[in-house]
Amino acid sequence: MLYGVLVDLVPHSKESRELEHRWANNESSFWASGGEWRFVTRAQIEARYARRAEERERGRLGVGFEIRTKAGKPIGSIGINWLQPVHRLAMLGAKIGEPDYWGGGYGTDALLLIVEYAFDWLDVRKVWLMTSSMNARVMRQMEKVGFTLEGRQRQATLAEGVWHDWLAYGLLREEWPGRETLVERLGLRERAQVLYADAESGR
Amino acid sequence: MLSGLLVDLVPFTREWYQEKMYTYWNNESRLWATMGECMPISRASIARIIEERAQGRERGYSGVHFMMRAKDGTIIGSIGLNWIDYHSRCGFLGAWIGEEAYWGGGYGTDALLLVVDYAFRWLDLRRLALGTMALNVRAQRNVEKCGFRLEGRERQTTLVNGEWVDALTYGLLREEWPGREALVEELGLREKAAQRYGEGA
Amino acid sequence: MLEGTLVDLVPFEDDFAIYLETWMNEEAWFRAHVWERREPHTEDDVKKYIEDMEKSEHGGLIGFQAKNGDPIGALIFDHEWTRVRKAEARVVVGDSRYEGTDEALDGLLMLVRYCFETRNLHRLDAVALPFHETWIEHLRRAGFVHEGTLRQHIRWDGDYVDLEMFGLLQSEWPGYAQKVAELSLQPSGLEPKPKPEKKDQKDAQPS
Repeated sequence: MLYGVLVDLVPHSKESRELEHRWANNESSFWASGGEWRFVTRAQIEARYARRAEERERGRLGVGFEIRTKAGKPIGSIGINWLQPVHRLAMLGAKIGEPDYWGGGYGTDALLLIVEYAFDWLDVRKVWLMTSSMNARVMRQMEKVGFTLEGRQRQATLAEGVWHDWLAYGLLREEWPGRETLVERLGLRERAQVLYADAESGR
Repeated sequence: MLSGLLVDLVPFTREWYQEKMYTYWNNESRLWATMGECMPISRASIARIIEERAQGRERGYSGVHFMMRAKDGTIIGSIGLNWIDYHSRCGFLGAWIGEEAYWGGGYGTDALLLVVDYAFRWLDLRRLALGTMALNVRAQRNVEKCGFRLEGRERQTTLVNGEWVDALTYGLLREEWPGREALVEELGLREKAAQRYGEGA
Repeated sequence: MLEGTLVDLVPFEDDFAIYLETWMNEEAWFRAHVWERREPHTEDDVKKYIEDMEKSEHGGLIGFQAKNGDPIGALIFDHEWTRVRKAEARVVVGDSRYEGTDEALDGLLMLVRYCFETRNLHRLDAVALPFHETWIEHLRRAGFVHEGTLRQHIRWDGDYVDLEMFGLLQSEWPGYAQKVAELSLQPSGLEPKPKPEKKDQKDAQPS
């Protein structure tokens, strides 16, 4: 549905539930939640889907995609968790569920796709997200893509007995240079060539 | 909640639900407000409609509605956005003045200016639309004075008193809207209010 | 009931529920609920709101009144997270005569006291519109720290405005008694309002 350089964003599939179960119980969940280890059963995943469907019924708008590599492997999910109409705001959420795909640019490619989608298709004026101050990888990504650190909620999350902050990042439409500019600037095409060449030659 | 010169737009009250709806749905105003509906309706049916609307709101119905109350406290009708398409930032307006004594006189216009201002200012919509029947000359004059433009005519859409009548669609884009204050001046609403309620209204 | 210095905290019912029908359609409510669309609230909307807050496991609605029993407004904590023990604090000064007074400040202090000293929360968040000076002043006096500005975040009156972020940690809260000693709160001496009309009268009066 949305085609990138390293990944595509596609609708969630039947297989998504099984993947979501795996990802809810692995380390990716610890990072996405700001420090929470979870024990999530399949029934709880089902219940989550039911809750989301009910929220959509009640008008809480959101859009979710599965992230797939160009080779077709699902590696995570990204979307707009909270689309606020009157304020024309999109709050983003993302998780790369497969640790092998952390770093490498997959997450960044997905982020650029969703931001472009939010501005060009949903006509929002601002995208924003929150992440924990432990998540150095996301913090670097935010800077590279051009988000501004707008706020720091001190000691808002607990990880392994240590308090960390929740950081709020925002990007206004007028600051968005367009996806193509950033793909260039961040060298995503070169990266794709390297990654997919590696894959082909079986390295 | 929104305060005008001749009317205030406020939340619906008990009196609205228990009395006014039943009266208005059974008097001539319904014909004009609904583009041609004209049949008796029972209190039980009204109660069912109220219930369905409440459920609709639970399920994310996007409209916003206000009760129209004249400055002297009389409930006279309702106005609002029947639905809002947030994706394209368009709103569809509807208005219903149930009390015949308040047709003409500027009440509808005052209410319309308040709602248009609200839609552009608070909801950041780009475009407003509304529909009316070709017979409703008063409504057409009103909306045209407020800057709406005739955009479409659906021929012979509704049957009124044995005759097929066209349905008209009017639209207003945000960039065409001069602001409520400019129109209040142009349409002399302050003078109308002074006439109706005396100086210092 | 929890007694404070200039205000007392009580369950949100009876006269408070009647007043809320007015308060929920006025500025103080909208400023404290910036995420919500600005729209009219009917009697049923108000009833539903109170019921939802009563049932909520993630928040609470508390009434606060002057020492003479006159209802002033609502204290709200919402989006309570059990794991990290934080919530968002809001104060609605329904009776606008009390906006900016030490009674309103005491309301905030009492809410903070309740959240830290009874609910054992670790942290409170609060947000403010940049032009809501009385609320910002009270947050600062209560000890909240300014943590950031969400730029052009909220649609407000024809424009997009910033949203200021504040936070207060349990470890930064010296306790209600000490706070009150530091702040020397002064009563406003406002006369109580006449009792609100009961609902068997038809609502045809202009407000």
